[in-house]
Amino acid sequence: MTDSDKDSIMDDKIVTVRNPTDMTGVSPGYRGKVVIGQDRISETDFESLDKSCPTHSFDYDKKTQALSVDHGKCIACDKCRVQSPALIQIKSSFASASKTRAGLVESFDAVTIEKSYDEIGNELKEKIHNLYGRSLAIREVDAGSCNGCEVEITALNNPIYDIERFGIHFVASPRHADLLLVTGPASRNMEVALKRTYDATPNPKLVVAVGACACSGGIFGDTYATTGGIDKIVPVDVYIPGCPPRPQALIYGLLLAINKKLDRKPDP
Amino acid sequence: MESSEYSLAISDKFGDNVKTELINGNEIHIFADNDNIIELCSFVHSGIGCRLLSIICNDERQINGMFVLRYVFGKENGEDIFFVATLRIDGNADGFPTLTQHIPSASLYEREIKDMFGLIPKGSHDQRPLLLHSWPEDSHPLRKDFDIKTKVPKSKEEYQFLKVTGDGVCEIPVGPVHAGIIEPGHFRFSTLGESIINLETRLFYTHKGVEKLAEQMPMEDVVLLSERIAGDESVANSTALCQAIEKIAKAKIPKKAAQTRTTCAEMERIYNHLGTLAGLSTDAGFAFGAARLNILKEKMMNLNEKISGSRILFGVNRIGGVKIDLTDVNKTMILSETESLGNEFYKILEFLRKKSSFIDRLKNTGTITKEDAVGFGIVGVAARCVGVDVDTRKDHPYASYPSLHLDKHHDTPYQKMKYEVEMQKRNGDALSRFMLRAEEIQNSIMLIQQTLRDLDNTQPIWCDVGPLEPHLHALGYSESHRGQTMHWVMVGKNNSIYRYKIRTASFCNWKIIEQAVLNDIVADFPIVNKSLDLSYSGNDL
Repeated sequence: MTDSDKDSIMDDKIVTVRNPTDMTGVSPGYRGKVVIGQDRISETDFESLDKSCPTHSFDYDKKTQALSVDHGKCIACDKCRVQSPALIQIKSSFASASKTRAGLVESFDAVTIEKSYDEIGNELKEKIHNLYGRSLAIREVDAGSCNGCEVEITALNNPIYDIERFGIHFVASPRHADLLLVTGPASRNMEVALKRTYDATPNPKLVVAVGACACSGGIFGDTYATTGGIDKIVPVDVYIPGCPPRPQALIYGLLLAINKKLDRKPDP
Repeated sequence: MESSEYSLAISDKFGDNVKTELINGNEIHIFADNDNIIELCSFVHSGIGCRLLSIICNDERQINGMFVLRYVFGKENGEDIFFVATLRIDGNADGFPTLTQHIPSASLYEREIKDMFGLIPKGSHDQRPLLLHSWPEDSHPLRKDFDIKTKVPKSKEEYQFLKVTGDGVCEIPVGPVHAGIIEPGHFRFSTLGESIINLETRLFYTHKGVEKLAEQMPMEDVVLLSERIAGDESVANSTALCQAIEKIAKAKIPKKAAQTRTTCAEMERIYNHLGTLAGLSTDAGFAFGAARLNILKEKMMNLNEKISGSRILFGVNRIGGVKIDLTDVNKTMILSETESLGNEFYKILEFLRKKSSFIDRLKNTGTITKEDAVGFGIVGVAARCVGVDVDTRKDHPYASYPSLHLDKHHDTPYQKMKYEVEMQKRNGDALSRFMLRAEEIQNSIMLIQQTLRDLDNTQPIWCDVGPLEPHLHALGYSESHRGQTMHWVMVGKNNSIYRYKIRTASFCNWKIIEQAVLNDIVADFPIVNKSLDLSYSGNDL
């Protein structure tokens, strides 16, 4: 390589994110999550919201008049905000992952994670180090996704997010994996393959459902061709909502999975 | 030729019992029957010189007691005309005559129809199930009397692969769960030593029932669904759907909406092509090149987010126009970022070009012959890399492409001749696909700049599309980064969708991989696969 080559090709220096304000700084227009702006709403308001939502993510408690949104179903399409701008906001912060399916349901007083990608990553690195001795091996399984989630999971490996520096590796076989990262609404045709991949993964294992489809079936729902969520087929430890979840949301979900592992009593 | 001349030619050949009708401006519908449909299709295919673009089956028993098959053909290179041969089949009939003996690429469509409608392609050599795995024979999802929520129990049935036998022949099954972060599909390799002597693909693991789902949804939600046919082709698919509905409504979208669609479609092409080139670099074992290209891809995805609120351009289209308003700030941002991206890409390309270890892996790997490309009816970069010059953006211009003057090669006889010679030289290997994608990235940047400089900011971004008359239908099409996307929509009552037929480029192109890998070694498969850039989800629906 000539010197001029080196100059021209290396002039980006280090591109990997170090703080949340650089390239990964989320633009204000990003459709991250639905935020409910009022503690009480009328039933008619709820009905019009429900009608506007293609995945029926809203729920309403008639007694308390409280509205809640299930991020596990939401595809961030913006229709609810267009329908009721006074009631609903779309914020650029991502909907955070949860250890339980019910934990994805948020009402008026929900709190948002404000940690940066790097902060989450370093916390994760430390915990992986303690728990697995340096590395967490992940097998990604597409159980009928539209490829949107795969685009984001692939992005974790690019020089900007560079997930390997936290000790996380994507491996080629479930037999090498500690954790399964599963996307898609679990199509009927992938049911057997997913079950067998799960069985082939050695114990103790973690399963993380990625994206609205994996959490609930998303826009594809529960039909003749889909099963309506990964947890219908294999037990799920952590749910990451989003359509698709951005890299920050993915890595936060992985942290949660490790936390869950640490909380869990050791296997006998 | 004018559309009326074609109609005349058809009635000359088939007499008065074959009626023709021009609808939606460029679709010549020809009404045939069981006896002459095959002859008619072969005439349109070989006589007029059209490509088979799709076969659409529709359960119209509620309307007229019939199943209707529509064979869609398209004319290329200067003539924006589609031929739709229509065959009505009695609601109680069990099948229709096969077209595969005349047009081999019809095979996949016919198998699809057998699965989804239960109509048998009579005389076809391949009647194995396609979309539905372990599925009983008496249940067909796209029939109107099939409830989408039905949970059909799995039947025990082994899929028949072609068995290659002989001394030293070894079978390697791969998938559906693959080694990388990619979608699921099954590949059955037969090898002799290291060479692949046969490959059979079995796909449709990600079948999610998109077409059936569309029939249950309000029309505006189907736009969201179409974006998720394949997440990385969101603009191409939603554009095709919206255009079909706008055609039915005879709505003319504002100029700015068309320009926004073009801009976003080209941005989608850039970020995906960059991803494919990065993947090729990874598969050739050159991590540095992949890292450099992935940085550019990430930059594009950040730009996507800034203008559309989604890193993969979800939420751009709506029926009647677009949802995003390209302001002057956005315009300046896109112009400057794509320009600097173009410069950086140029440097990386210059660098990769000099790496003989990289270039050697691509050269003569995964070669497609022109004969196969035509026979299988493939589209997009895979077709263009072997000199089959098909590009929906110029063959059937849509959005703001008509004003962009894409077809430079056809201006003078000298240029035409030069271009034809150039196309002859293309040999269809992975390197030619690499080169073509690199060229398209630079072209796309140019198209974005052309479009944005002409952006009319005084205009609205969408127009009202009123209530639609039931049972009207239209084709909608676009060119995704994978090739031609061909959708067809029939409207139902109360502004619903009666039938939504989706055919993405991947459906046409998947079969070519079985030919492309022949005589390559197994270790080259990732390069062949990546260089063809096929979508599983867009194929499986």
